Amino acid sequence: MSAPMIELVKVSKSFGAHEVLRGVDLGVKRSEVVCLIGPSGSGKSTLLRCVNFLEPYDAGDLRIDGRLIGYEDKPDGTRGRMGARTLRAMRREIGMVFQHFNLWPHMTALGNVAEPLRRVRGLQARGAADRAMAMLTRVGLAAKADAYPFRLSGGQQQRVAIARALAMQPRLMLFDEPTSALDPELVGEVLEVMRSLAAEGMTMLIVTHEMGFAAHVADRIAFIDEGRIIDEGPPRRVFHESPEPRVRQFLQTHHDRNAF
Amino acid sequence: MNLDLFWHYVPSLLSGFGVTVVCWSAGGALGLLLGFAIALLRRLRIPPLSWLLRAFIEVFRGTPFLMQLFLLYAGGPSIGLKLSATAAGILGLGLYSSAYFAEIFRAGFAAVPVGQIEAAVSVGMAPFDAMMRVILPAALIAAVPAIVNMLIILSKETVVLSIITVPELMYQVQTMAAETFTAFGAIFAMAVFYWLLVEAVSRLGLRLEARVTAYLAHEERAA
Repeated sequence: MSAPMIELVKVSKSFGAHEVLRGVDLGVKRSEVVCLIGPSGSGKSTLLRCVNFLEPYDAGDLRIDGRLIGYEDKPDGTRGRMGARTLRAMRREIGMVFQHFNLWPHMTALGNVAEPLRRVRGLQARGAADRAMAMLTRVGLAAKADAYPFRLSGGQQQRVAIARALAMQPRLMLFDEPTSALDPELVGEVLEVMRSLAAEGMTMLIVTHEMGFAAHVADRIAFIDEGRIIDEGPPRRVFHESPEPRVRQFLQTHHDRNAF
Repeated sequence: MNLDLFWHYVPSLLSGFGVTVVCWSAGGALGLLLGFAIALLRRLRIPPLSWLLRAFIEVFRGTPFLMQLFLLYAGGPSIGLKLSATAAGILGLGLYSSAYFAEIFRAGFAAVPVGQIEAAVSVGMAPFDAMMRVILPAALIAAVPAIVNMLIILSKETVVLSIITVPELMYQVQTMAAETFTAFGAIFAMAVFYWLLVEAVSRLGLRLEARVTAYLAHEERAA
């Protein structure tokens, strides 16, 4: 049995006096899709950002494929920050997709996807462009390769951002509310790409408010409230049979809002 | 005013204009370089260095340029800094404007959305690459209008150089006024020259702005 792709053991994080994560335990196996849901301010985005150490966690262990990220445990039992080069090498293997896409506005769609391939993977211009084009084709945007981000709809920008992360051939992908900034009619095209990724066996950790997507695509749902995972299990179980009143209340509110 | 008399002074006015343009462009270039270096160094947040640079900016923004120039030219020799009037003028313009340019670049860096930097970090880009490929282009684009504005202000600060006998336009105009006892023609000529210079700079600035923001205006093939 190999190590889980992502493993959190008692991970804690505070912003000043505010404890955002209070000893979170979570595991994501290879090819597993886990959706993090919960009220806003519950800590789910912070948790996701700790996984690639964009946000340093304060205590606990966070391992990627068995390897502690961000810190190094020394033989004498103390813990120090991981070297910048090693951390970068680990981040290369972790794709991240942001709520606001975060494309680089002065580069075309193709440029956005090719840039990390050139600077980080060290590909030549031609090779990078070819792989970038293949990735854009993969997300259905080959025709928009030469378009600058401002020319693209939110849904298209997010698909370019997914292509950018995917081009690096990561071992896992993190999604931070990838559809929350999109017009409702553009949500589908992004979820479709994510669904196909899941079908191909990509390991995915997704923060989302798309309960329908979570119910259909996730292998497991983890519900976070006030920095703790208070319920976790297969979608059907969490969505319909959660023993936690807080989970039921949250889902009820969500259900009421979407019923008409 | 006697027109023949005016023509007599045209060569010296032209040479004065030439000196003005040289001092302004050399001083501006020096200020841009220094200011950029200061803004970059301040990003490192090394406590004593940041403190010194902040003090540098405070001093050069907080005191009159005339005073700085005087100290540099008249006081320089006492600390072993012996400069010709023109060299002192250029160095003075450079130091003075660098304080402003440093703040303009700082604002430019601050204008780069954090998310764009996080995107570079999350793909594992090295700090140098992230700076050159992501942060710098965005920061420079944000800074261009303010840079052009500062260069225009600086072009008119060059008149102060006449005080330390740099033979620039103001100096020639004063000479002409003193010798002909007619201030109006000389001042008018000066106004025309400055207007031409500022007009040229602002037009160049607009073209530069259009160029660096091209990606916002139309699509073009990536190189």
